[in-house]
Amino acid sequence: MAVCVAIIGKDNAPKFFACVNPEEELNFQYKVLSSLDIVEEKLNPTVKSSTTDLRELYLGMLYSLETHKIYGYVTNTKIKIIIIVDSTNTALRDNEIKSMFKKIHSEYADVVCNPFYIPGEPITSKSFAMNIESIMS
Amino acid sequence: MQANAIQSNSDLPPELCAKPLALIGISGLDVINNAVHKSIWDIFSNSRRNEHSPVRFNLIENDHEFPIIKPKRNSYDWYIPKGILKKNWMHKHLHEIPAVMVIFYDLDWNDLQWNEKMIECASRVQSMRAALEGRASRIVIVLIQTTLPLPAGEDALAAERAVALCSSCELNSQSLFVLPHGDHLQGYATRLENAFYEFAQTYYHNEAKIIKSHKEHLNKNTHQYLYVRHQFKLGFLNELKQDIHTAYKHYNHAYENLLEIRIVDTNSLEIRTIAGFLNYKLCRLLFALNLPRDAISQFKSHIDRFRGRIGFQELAFEHYAWLSKQYSVFGDIFDEAVKLGLPAVQTQHPGIYYQQAALQAILRKKACKELCSTVIAYPSPDPLEGANNIEFYGQRPWRPGKMTSEPPDPHLEAMGIQAIQYLEKLVNHSNIIIQLYGLAISQYKTYKCPRTRRQLVLEMADECYDSKDYGKALTLYTHMLWDFRKEKWWGILSQVLEKALICAFLTANVQDYIQLALELLGANTTTSLDDKRRIYENLKKILKKQIPYGDPKLPQDILQNAIIIWQPVFSSNPLHFSLDMANIAACIETRAKFLKNVYEVDQNVTVEIYIRSTCPFPLVFAKISVTINAPNCNSEFAVTNVENIALSFRKDEVKKFVIEFMPDPHDINKEIQIGSINIQLGNSTECSVDLKYSSYDEAFKNHPELVHFRCAPNGIDFDNIRPLSSSTIVPRESKLSISFDHRSPALVGEWYQIVINIVNEEMFGIKDLKIEVVLDEENFESELSLQPSSPCKQPLIVNSPKNLDCNGKNSTHFFVRVHKPCKCNVTVRVTYTLDSQKAVLSIKTEVIPLPVVEPFTVTTKYLSMLMSEIDRFYVDEEFGVMNYIKFSSPWMIHIEDTSLEFVHPGRSAEKSSSSQIAGRSFNNEEISAELHIATCQKSSDQGLNLGKCKISWKRENGITTTTEVAIQGLPCYFMPIGLKLAAPAHGFVRTPMLLKYHLENRSRHLIQLDVVMQATEAFMFSGYKQFVVSILPNSTRTLQYNLYPLIAGSVALPELVISPESNTDNEVQGINKDQLNALIHRSLPTHIYVMPQVKGTPKLPEIVANQKIQIVD
Repeated sequence: MAVCVAIIGKDNAPKFFACVNPEEELNFQYKVLSSLDIVEEKLNPTVKSSTTDLRELYLGMLYSLETHKIYGYVTNTKIKIIIIVDSTNTALRDNEIKSMFKKIHSEYADVVCNPFYIPGEPITSKSFAMNIESIMS
Repeated sequence: MQANAIQSNSDLPPELCAKPLALIGISGLDVINNAVHKSIWDIFSNSRRNEHSPVRFNLIENDHEFPIIKPKRNSYDWYIPKGILKKNWMHKHLHEIPAVMVIFYDLDWNDLQWNEKMIECASRVQSMRAALEGRASRIVIVLIQTTLPLPAGEDALAAERAVALCSSCELNSQSLFVLPHGDHLQGYATRLENAFYEFAQTYYHNEAKIIKSHKEHLNKNTHQYLYVRHQFKLGFLNELKQDIHTAYKHYNHAYENLLEIRIVDTNSLEIRTIAGFLNYKLCRLLFALNLPRDAISQFKSHIDRFRGRIGFQELAFEHYAWLSKQYSVFGDIFDEAVKLGLPAVQTQHPGIYYQQAALQAILRKKACKELCSTVIAYPSPDPLEGANNIEFYGQRPWRPGKMTSEPPDPHLEAMGIQAIQYLEKLVNHSNIIIQLYGLAISQYKTYKCPRTRRQLVLEMADECYDSKDYGKALTLYTHMLWDFRKEKWWGILSQVLEKALICAFLTANVQDYIQLALELLGANTTTSLDDKRRIYENLKKILKKQIPYGDPKLPQDILQNAIIIWQPVFSSNPLHFSLDMANIAACIETRAKFLKNVYEVDQNVTVEIYIRSTCPFPLVFAKISVTINAPNCNSEFAVTNVENIALSFRKDEVKKFVIEFMPDPHDINKEIQIGSINIQLGNSTECSVDLKYSSYDEAFKNHPELVHFRCAPNGIDFDNIRPLSSSTIVPRESKLSISFDHRSPALVGEWYQIVINIVNEEMFGIKDLKIEVVLDEENFESELSLQPSSPCKQPLIVNSPKNLDCNGKNSTHFFVRVHKPCKCNVTVRVTYTLDSQKAVLSIKTEVIPLPVVEPFTVTTKYLSMLMSEIDRFYVDEEFGVMNYIKFSSPWMIHIEDTSLEFVHPGRSAEKSSSSQIAGRSFNNEEISAELHIATCQKSSDQGLNLGKCKISWKRENGITTTTEVAIQGLPCYFMPIGLKLAAPAHGFVRTPMLLKYHLENRSRHLIQLDVVMQATEAFMFSGYKQFVVSILPNSTRTLQYNLYPLIAGSVALPELVISPESNTDNEVQGINKDQLNALIHRSLPTHIYVMPQVKGTPKLPEIVANQKIQIVD
């Protein structure tokens, strides 16, 4: 379903990046970076928007490009999760994206609970990568 | 010219982009020779006026020729249109055919040659009408008059002549205007302009009606083009009429009709062109109608529809050029709307369209590269001949007006394509792309998308690189590095670094090359090991002054050029570079720290330097040093005590270097900092590179407290080294023993002695001993001295020997005097140098907390002569001054002497006075009292200062101190009468005694008083019982009585009653009964002691002798 999943730390440094096609990774990195602009703006407390509920972690669609759609999700600790979906995949509903985010979030929480993981560093756990891959497909 | 022709295929013509304004023709104004005409023309043509109508004025000469009207067509049956939109039509309506023709003419109503001028005017109208033959343009006359018009209906002559003029010109009366040339030209012009504008609207409305009427003649099969053309014309005319709603409707119809036309290769260019025009108009109007969402969706569907319609494969670049133009034009319109107040958002703003335009331009470039590379010559004969003169928009010059059904001539077609391809090859695509990126970048910056902006800058740099502008590309790349580094996007960073490295190579920028190479060799980059090895080898070559190898992917010719640029770089003398590595995640990392926060001045300062190389290949340094910034001087310390082998690093090797130095004694109590860590690469004879690291780079960490969990395989846990980049130099700790002898608390006003005992417990003798004493700064009422006499200024330097041997002792002392009870601190600072090989300055500071208390407090009470307390004085009346001294010192105080010193008006009433407590000692809480008799010589409403009480005192064995306390008196009033009783201390029963009442007149008037001596049972008395007494001014009268006591004990005296003499005027004397009673009450004792009768015959006290009184009849 998703072609790319990225987990970005609160300082906007990438913690985890997974692509269906590894050759396109750099390209997707640029896309994720661009969508961070939108996330930052949405998180900016000075921009008052009546629709944003602070408890809602799901940010909805950030970018709709010709080839891809980019969705965002921010945890309470300002960890950003970005999912990129192929534009041609019209079967994917908002709810499914949301549940995908929830799953990734809980996977991430598991990784952080690991005492051998140093918060703020890139995630290198293989089982995490596998779990994310299974969520993506 | 030919290149222009190609450009115009995708560019929008100016007449399309111009804002349509109703055209008003103006004739009859001679702006060159006639000043009045010029001013009128200036007012009309000056569009800066506020309430400017949407009209355009065109000055038309008398002999102007208007476009020839085409013959009317009655039937469209056999008409086959050759194209969609004629090139000249818009220009014609915008600039050539006026909606309203205004003829100016100078004519006053009362002109002498009225008739002649009227005829001339009429002839002008006629000739203009002839020129506009067949057009529906409205003709109006404006008479320029010098006299001001009268109100309507009052000027009969004017009304009459106006009618005449109208009829001779064959115009109705509404077409005649008068413009008085005077003060309010501006206002008149505005009103005229509005009138013209209304006429113009009617004109365009009628024109539109005529075009609409053609519709019924058309049929869908052959006239598809005309459907589009007519709807376009309707839209344009409505725009001229400023009816944008209707205009939008018609343009929309035109667009829909256009979409119905089947697109084939031959007409694809024309349809695309016209679609672009219509889309432009539609989007612009939608923005003007404040429907930005509709504009965006219109644009999107427009692009979606035409994206796939490439047309000729051989001319695919034309299609991309057109798409690029569509995007950039939409960006322009959007931007224009934003500037007029449309709020754009982060996800929908002009920058997105500029970015797309740039992308399309890149596609165009690619297509051009693919298609045009084979074309080498421009074909002859020129197939593009007359490209600017073809009748319709978007048609090929080599087959103008050809209908789609006709098969094109293949040879001519091929020639045409070749010509266009040749011209496309000449286009500088990169410029276009970079320009579009520039527009997009500035928009993304405005809409707060820093990361997207960065990406665009990189793309722009790629384009610069592509266009061989390596220098600019390098600048752009290196400027973007910092942000990626900060956010740790190592993958992107590595890619950018690699590109930048190539640019640095191609521009032979050695400094950047080394810096980029060092960063690429670091652990963070995702570059492959092979590439890293190549970079490493190149770096080594540069350090040996050899030209590095270029990237093997680069084409040969570019490599050749680069080598040519490199050659002169190394031809010069030894190269030396200095690189600032502070913000770079390079392959060499450093940490430096002081071992302690505080160093004593005689200790070695130790700096530990840790260096880690993450370069996969061994690195050798020439020199490692640290700069230390101290307030006095900055110095550099190099690592010296290591062999050369220690300066070579394998991968992930961490080494520790220690630098020690003695601090400068001038930096005592100051902070020293590690300024930078310098590593030198290469050797100074060939090429050396100084890498400057800042001592503090925590920017790359976010959870330093958690790094402890990371394992450090090779001994030194580099990541956990906390830099400590500053330290303070302090004086060495003194081993001198200092004690103080004093008897606290100090007493206010005394010279308080403090004895300093110094014992030298150092290992060496000391010299240059100096003892300074300083008091609290805020305490001004205190003094220091060496002698208990004169105060010295601070800081006090206490007498002491200069030198003191090991274990030597010394005592000295100083004095403190404080004038206020408080708690003050006395600071004693002992400075000296050790008498060892190294003369080290040492300082020892001790603080003596010193409470200061009052030795005693003095309170004063005033008593009447009868020992009762009083609240006021009377002039020249005696009173008692009672001084109580309450002692509050914990130490016994010995009073040496006390005295009362009066100042005027106070005066002692004693002949001689002496201290009553001198020579006595008092303990804490004890109170002494002294009584002195005084008078006050002046009346006063307030208490006056009577004088001061001087007390000389000392501690036991102490130094005498004299304390002075001012004595504050009571209010003093004037009483004209003084009264005093002189009586013996006591009497004896049945023994007479003498009472003398002294009445004193202190005033300058005669005082007469009634005096009554009241009888009492305890006494028999002789003297005047009741009589009037007269007292002369400033004299005293004495009344004497002999008293014969009858009872023993404390007996009430006979009461003396004094009252003002009833006959005299009381007010003159200034005394009344109450005052007299008060006087008696405070001056006369009421009782006297009478002793029992003395046995035997006592000696009679002084009494008034019997007087012989003769009674005369």
